[in-house]
Amino acid sequence: MISVRHLEKWFDDNHVLNDISVTFETGKTNLIIGRSGSGKTVLLKSIVGLHEVDSGEIWFEDVLFNKLNFTEKKKIRKEMGMLFQGSALFDSLTVEQNIQFPLDMFTDNTQEEKIERVNFCLNRVNLINANNLFPSELSGGMKKRVAIARAISLKPKYLFCDEPNSGLDPPNAILIDALIKEITEEYLITTIVNTHDMNSVIEIGENIVFINEGSICWEGNKNEILHSDNEILNDFVFANALAKKLRNPLK
Amino acid sequence: MIKFLTQFGRYFLLLKKVFSRPEKPYIYYKQTMHELVYLGFYSVGIVSIISFFMGAVITLQTAYNTENPIYPTYLIGLGCRDSIILEFSSTISALILAGKVGSNIASEIGTMRVTEQIDALEMMGVNSASYLILPKIIATLLFFPILTLLSICVGILGGWLAGTSAGVITSENFIYGIQYAFIPYYITYSLIKTVVFAFIITSVSSFQGYYVDGGSLEVGRASTKAVVFSSVLILLFNVVLTQLLLS
Ligand SMILES: Nc1ncnc2c1ncn2[C@@H]1O[C@H](COP(=O)(O)OP(=O)(O)OP(=O)(O)O)[C@@H](O)[C@H]1O
Ligand SMILES: [Mg+2]
Repeated sequence: MISVRHLEKWFDDNHVLNDISVTFETGKTNLIIGRSGSGKTVLLKSIVGLHEVDSGEIWFEDVLFNKLNFTEKKKIRKEMGMLFQGSALFDSLTVEQNIQFPLDMFTDNTQEEKIERVNFCLNRVNLINANNLFPSELSGGMKKRVAIARAISLKPKYLFCDEPNSGLDPPNAILIDALIKEITEEYLITTIVNTHDMNSVIEIGENIVFINEGSICWEGNKNEILHSDNEILNDFVFANALAKKLRNPLK
Repeated sequence: MIKFLTQFGRYFLLLKKVFSRPEKPYIYYKQTMHELVYLGFYSVGIVSIISFFMGAVITLQTAYNTENPIYPTYLIGLGCRDSIILEFSSTISALILAGKVGSNIASEIGTMRVTEQIDALEMMGVNSASYLILPKIIATLLFFPILTLLSICVGILGGWLAGTSAGVITSENFIYGIQYAFIPYYITYSLIKTVVFAFIITSVSSFQGYYVDGGSLEVGRASTKAVVFSSVLILLFNVVLTQLLLS
């Protein structure tokens, strides 16, 4: 469980996170949704400690994460996997080396054990025969899958995904979503996913936080989201013409 | 001014992070080997070409400037040797390497920054500054002195070839000249300068790349800044070191 209390974050005089308090549950796919620029990435990076917050508390179980020093943070970091918005694979390493990287850094496994784990992770994301390709030789969807494989290579307790399916075609997007949900339930991970894709929301949204201009504007699940009377949320959910048409019969 | 001081402070904070204890020495060793080839060995070509022509030009110019029967011609060899060792091989090579290696480092690290690869490293609990920069610093500190020695040899070779084929000096005189009144300390001086320049190039360029904020445009800008700042610092330290080491 990850719990966030009264987070505040400023970039100069841009108030990006405004009093964010929310709890993300274990074994569930927790979604953070919101428009582009609403502060989703900043919130996620603040939770994992890549951004220093100005005030507030970030709890991982019963540990106050944002007050730990570098070495103490490192211990918890080993239990985190993160999928970045742009995949962030290491350009100079092959797919295999990318996934092996955290294993090299933090385990004393033999090379065979590492390769076994790498292949297991690649299988898990349905990527075979890509071991020796470089990131520049992969499609966007493949990169995302390699990035997921890298994120789960150390068997994380916490998984963070920043827009895992942006830029993918709908079938592939759904595949990635389903994969994240499956992994979350299978290994009982606390997963937080940033997205502005309504398909994902309806597909995997068990616990949804809607952020608008840096504040939490609505919380709920995928069934409630279609029947809310929050105007700002509805503008977001029923943004496109098709959704608007479908909405009227709902009412 | 305040901006300058902030930058200065950040530079030293980064260096502190770079030199903190590495977590897996073996991985650093592997990275260093890679950088030795990538930053060092791949610069052998350009350093050789430049040194060869530099040596040739120095010899010819010395020859034409001393066209006077009262100077013995072996002085051409001596002049060529001393200017190459004292100044050209260390400083000119360093300026060339600032262009090649400096922009390379800044754009590599800068790209890793804007594509969130550095965040990914930090996220895994890796000290990204140390992991990315330390192997580069070690590799250049080790390899640039070799490049300087190479540059001295190739430069003198270029001088010999140019001088003898242009007919301004005989081979015997040139070889006598380059051995005449040789001061070994000049080589030490040249190598000390090279080590300092190597550190300047690598650390300044890494600093520029590491703190890129934005996109590919900023990466380009950082790599230009890396070259400009390291070149200016090289010239500045050249004066300081010369005063310290030769006076
Ligand atoms: N490193 C930074 N420095 C300064 N401002 C930043 C930085 N990162 C983000 N911001 C600002 O924070 C705000 C929120 O950005 P953020 O990246 O969190 O949006 P987002 O919700 O993830 O959008 P998207 O869906 O497009 O990824 C924006 O106004 C942005 O300008
Ligand atoms: Mg974002």
